[in-house]
Amino acid sequence: MARTKVVVDPITRIEGHLRIEVQQENGRIADAWASSTQFRGIELIMEGRDPRDAWAFTQRICGVCTVVHAVASLRAVEDALDIRIPANANLIRNLVHGMQFVQDHVIHFYHLHALDWVDVVSALQADPAGTARIAKSISPWPNNSETYFREVQDRLKKFVGTGQLGIFANGYWGHPAYKLPPEVNLLAVAHYLEALDWQRDVIRLHTIFGGKNPHPHFVVGGMASAINLDSTATINAERLTDIQDMIKRARRFVHEVYIPDLLAVAGFYKEWAAIGGGTGNYLTVGEFPETDVRDVGSYFLPQGIIVGKNLGEVLPYDHQKVKEYVTSSWYEYPGGDGEGLHPYAGETKAKYTGPPTPWQYLQDESKYSWMKSPRYDEMPMEVGPLARMLVAYASGHDGVQGMVNEVLGRLGVGPAALFSTLGRTAARGIETALIVDRMQTWLDELVDRVRNGDTATFTRDKWSPDTWPAEAEGYGYLDAPRGALGHWIKIRDGKIAKYQCVVPSTWNCSPRDPQGQVGPYEAALKDNHPLVDPARPIEILRTIHSFDPCMACGVH
Amino acid sequence: MFYPSSHPWVEGETLGEHLEDRGVSRRDFLAFCAEMSAVLGVGSAMTPKVVEALQQARRPSVIWLQLQECTGCVESVIRTGEPTIGDLVLDVISLDFNHTLMAAAGEAAEAAKHTAMEENRGGYVLLVTGSVPLENDGMYLTIAGRTAREHLEEAAAGAAHIIAVGACAHWGNIQASRPNPTGAVGVSEIVRNKTVVNIAGCPPIADTVTATIVHILTFGRVPALDRDGRPMFAYGKRIHDQCPRRAHFDAGQFVEHFDDEAARQGLCLYRTGCKGPATFSPCPIFQWNTRTSFPIGAGHGCIGCTERGFWDQMTPFYERLPDLAGFGVERRVDMIGGAVAVGVTAGVAAHAVATGIHRTRQRKALPVVEQPAAGKEHDRG
Amino acid sequence: MTTSTKPPTIAEAVAAATPEYRWVLLWRWPLRVTHWLSAICIVTLTVTGFYIGKPYFTTWGEASAHYLMGWARFIHFTAAGIVVGAAILRIYWMFAGGRYASWRALLPVKTKDWVNLLKTVQYYMMVKQEEAPRYLGHHPLQQFSYTAIYTLVLIHVVTGFGMYGMSNPGGAIYALFGWVGPAFGGIQNARFWHHVLTWVLVWFIPVHVYLAFRADVMDREGEMSSIFSGGRFVRADVKFEDE
Ligand code: HEM
Ligand code: HEM
Ligand code: NFV
Ligand code: SF4
Ligand code: SF4
Ligand code: F3S
Ligand SMILES: [Mg+2]
Repeated sequence: MARTKVVVDPITRIEGHLRIEVQQENGRIADAWASSTQFRGIELIMEGRDPRDAWAFTQRICGVCTVVHAVASLRAVEDALDIRIPANANLIRNLVHGMQFVQDHVIHFYHLHALDWVDVVSALQADPAGTARIAKSISPWPNNSETYFREVQDRLKKFVGTGQLGIFANGYWGHPAYKLPPEVNLLAVAHYLEALDWQRDVIRLHTIFGGKNPHPHFVVGGMASAINLDSTATINAERLTDIQDMIKRARRFVHEVYIPDLLAVAGFYKEWAAIGGGTGNYLTVGEFPETDVRDVGSYFLPQGIIVGKNLGEVLPYDHQKVKEYVTSSWYEYPGGDGEGLHPYAGETKAKYTGPPTPWQYLQDESKYSWMKSPRYDEMPMEVGPLARMLVAYASGHDGVQGMVNEVLGRLGVGPAALFSTLGRTAARGIETALIVDRMQTWLDELVDRVRNGDTATFTRDKWSPDTWPAEAEGYGYLDAPRGALGHWIKIRDGKIAKYQCVVPSTWNCSPRDPQGQVGPYEAALKDNHPLVDPARPIEILRTIHSFDPCMACGVH
Repeated sequence: MFYPSSHPWVEGETLGEHLEDRGVSRRDFLAFCAEMSAVLGVGSAMTPKVVEALQQARRPSVIWLQLQECTGCVESVIRTGEPTIGDLVLDVISLDFNHTLMAAAGEAAEAAKHTAMEENRGGYVLLVTGSVPLENDGMYLTIAGRTAREHLEEAAAGAAHIIAVGACAHWGNIQASRPNPTGAVGVSEIVRNKTVVNIAGCPPIADTVTATIVHILTFGRVPALDRDGRPMFAYGKRIHDQCPRRAHFDAGQFVEHFDDEAARQGLCLYRTGCKGPATFSPCPIFQWNTRTSFPIGAGHGCIGCTERGFWDQMTPFYERLPDLAGFGVERRVDMIGGAVAVGVTAGVAAHAVATGIHRTRQRKALPVVEQPAAGKEHDRG
Repeated sequence: MTTSTKPPTIAEAVAAATPEYRWVLLWRWPLRVTHWLSAICIVTLTVTGFYIGKPYFTTWGEASAHYLMGWARFIHFTAAGIVVGAAILRIYWMFAGGRYASWRALLPVKTKDWVNLLKTVQYYMMVKQEEAPRYLGHHPLQQFSYTAIYTLVLIHVVTGFGMYGMSNPGGAIYALFGWVGPAFGGIQNARFWHHVLTWVLVWFIPVHVYLAFRADVMDREGEMSSIFSGGRFVRADVKFEDE
């Protein structure tokens, strides 16, 4: 049977520049290549800089997960210099990072992922009364009235009537893969619009603690935002109240809009619980230290590794087992393409060997991406919400087990369904709900501490480079919305001597390693994956989007 | 925003009608136009002109290229400031191409862009975020198998106006900083035959983008620009000259360390390296995220993100002076300077003593020369 | 030598009474005024400048009750204005003033000046004491150092006004000095040089004062007093290089 080469470039509704190539055979994907086509060299730009500035540089790796590189960098520097931040600073960082998760995941669901499942044009045929009936049956959200949905639909009709479709132009509308009834499509479109207003509101938590979003400001040793209940220029009761209200609105939206919509949509796409699984290995470094980052046991979401879909055993994580390969990437290593380097010894030496533009097929090349290939103990690993939820589930995390079981029950599927495109998308929703609820706990604790007179947000020990050792190295890690993130820093004479990042999307989008093992995107596309019409590759978008790719992150 | 909001635009509808359709009263619309006149700094006398222009506007095509970037600028724009008014302004356009939000992918996406470019040739507004890597024949960024430069040149050719949004498109930003491994440059380095409006910042405040678009729609031309191509209405003043902490600066009241007593009183961040005195930006006035705060408001100095070269010029961020020589001079300059001053003074003193000894020896060796009388010397005064 | 129809000054009278000495007028009043104006202003600029650069003293309480940095900057800018005025006067005087004030006396223009520079350095290093060339005005080492100082102050003025202009980009100063930031590769670089070169000025002061003072004591020829009185007594029998 003849194979067809298919190229999807650009993959849109992601962060950055991703090209997917596959070979299609009998309506299925036989083989797949994921290539990231942008390189900036931020690791090299870090060298020679003041380590206290590192957070700002690495933050620019990505403006979507705008908090995570900054915090990983702070942790790396604080690890190298043995700086222990005050408890309040830890809580504030949790709140900021927590809101990052919540906002990022909601945006992903509605604005990046939904159009893979929701046919905007079909919403025109919906009966708004039916939409209202469905909506009311799944959620107490106040906007769930027939009038409201009719209004949205009327405007959508007018919009389509103008012929200027804007961002909806050329979508794969009417593709047989779209399964939602018009009423559910209308529901999703209405919430697509609501989510836009909502995210703009709740993200202001970043602005209060960091001055702006994207790219809020941080500081090595804690947080710059001082707490003083009696000043107008600091974190005071008014600011704390504002934050409290944002958390309330965030919780309400997640529980009354996002999760119900997720379940409603997923219910129509259950076959996707058997598609797009992938490597079957999952890694999470854990996140949300509730005492100190050095106290791994205090993490709200636990650290660990699952190999070969075995939920019976969670392996411990050891960063010494991380290596990056460049066998299929446009870089060179001193020891050649077979070599894997631990990030402390890592190298970022770009060397483009691909064809000149315009490109035909990168799949014909031995090197085909700017993404390196991280491997843990020589194995490719999937990272992200699914990895976190699986590890927490297998570790016996109460909240996660409860919520995962409930979702599986509501969808009428077993735990095996988690290893899939649908499982990934569901895990993202589940953790959003858990984290947004936990944010309340962190805020309560912060308020409690302030009430008891502890307002410290910053430690000035080791602020001055004169107090630093001549040489130091540190590892900063966290779990970002898209998965496990690590920053490795070497400091010499007060300056950055080496900086290496291994990022969630580096794990997930990694190309082939020396053993020929493919990365998670590629593995997922090869895993019993349909592709009916090469000209309208919506199935590819579904699975790739389920990872929430971020190419700027992954290559940096 | 750049998605059809729940109140989409209809063919042939003016903004006035459109707003009415959205349940916005004439009064609110006029208030919005007045607000925009204020943001643009064109004065209330211009409000009628803004009103007129927006009422006649049809949705112009906007093509948004995303090049070598972090997508922070797109995220910033989707958090546009005014809850209702920001939406209204952005409803005024038809966003025909934008990677982050568009439904189509691959060939279908590129086709949507080409259609929009054909149908609106010479009339569309081109927004660009991200820089253009030039090293290595531009292989550090390809989209649909073609280089960033090719995409930019193609889109710029048919554009009526070009707006470079954010530091990456403005001058290359972090990728263009020492040692600029990919040879990244800003849009104006590539597009030389057209005016490029630079909306500076990493990222910029969304309202700045919005207001620039309104200006173009209202007046049919770009707003007045400064030496660096930045709109004067937003970048015409330094942070330092608009800062709420300025009174503390003048009074001599400074934070020395984060979270010290002065920090808890909200005093000036100058000594922690605030770059407000060197940075032109509207942050203290427009503020961020629906006027919630801005970096200095949150207790951290400005890092100068609207200035060209700020990663090399404004660093180390926590020092007041840049690290020009690359080995920490900025931290030690006063120490070194003071030490040399002491050394010089000591040297001078030593020289004086040595001279004395030398002279005495010489005097003993040489015949005595007649000296003028002390008294007379005194008379000369 | 001065020729005057006016009654002799005290100095002339003294010179007439001590035939082994003659009195030479080197610096007429405009030069002396500009010297002392600049000297006072440069010291003031240095002191206020360092406060601006690193404001160690801080005030507490109502901001409106204090204006410490405000005054430091006000004085700095006022002194800066005076220095510019004095510099303009001095430049005028380079052409209108006498030979000792001339620009020629400031720049080592002739080959002889360079040879003499070497000799003077040797003299000060006490290597060849007796061969020091004698100058009435600036000897080559002074020429060299003053030229350097003028250049330094010029850079200060340029970078200073470059920074100063930023507070009002619509204003005349910005129109005149707006190029400074870009020319230095960013206004922060200009700030850097403004700060660092201040130290060089600081180093200059003790050397300069010492040299002037030393000449007074050693040669007993009133080198130092000349900047107060305008002229100096020199031995009648000495031939000067710049006479
Ligand atoms: C006791 C103190 C001082 C004495 C006796 C003294 C003496 C002199 C003399 C004789 C000259 C040569 C005049 C000329 O060619 O202009 C001179 C020039 C100069 N002095 Fe001083 N000076 C003193 C203090 C200072 C101080 C404190 C400064 C500044 C920090 C200063 C800055 C200068 C400069 C910039 C010149 C070159 C100016 C010029 O040529 O007009 N002087 N000084
Ligand atoms: C020759 C003499 C001068 C000296 C020694 C001097 C010294 C200094 C020093 C040490 C600083 C602090 C620099 C920093 O760390 O940021 C400073 C700042 C400054 N100086 Fe000068 N300066 C001189 C002349 C001038 C002139 C002629 C101007 C012209 C207006 C000027 C304007 C400024 C300005 C605007 C600042 C920055 C003030 C601020 O940021 O608020 N200076 N000066
Ligand atoms: N770190 C990081 Fe990332 C990635 N990949 C994360 O959530 O997106 Ni921009
Ligand atoms: S200017 Fe800053 S925020 Fe915008 S894309 Fe570039 S790095 Fe990101
Ligand atoms: S905080 Fe920064 S911008 Fe504000 S007054 Fe102080 S130095 Fe100026
Ligand atoms: S860092 Fe940038 S966001 Fe504003 S306060 Fe400074 S210009
Ligand atoms: Mg890396």
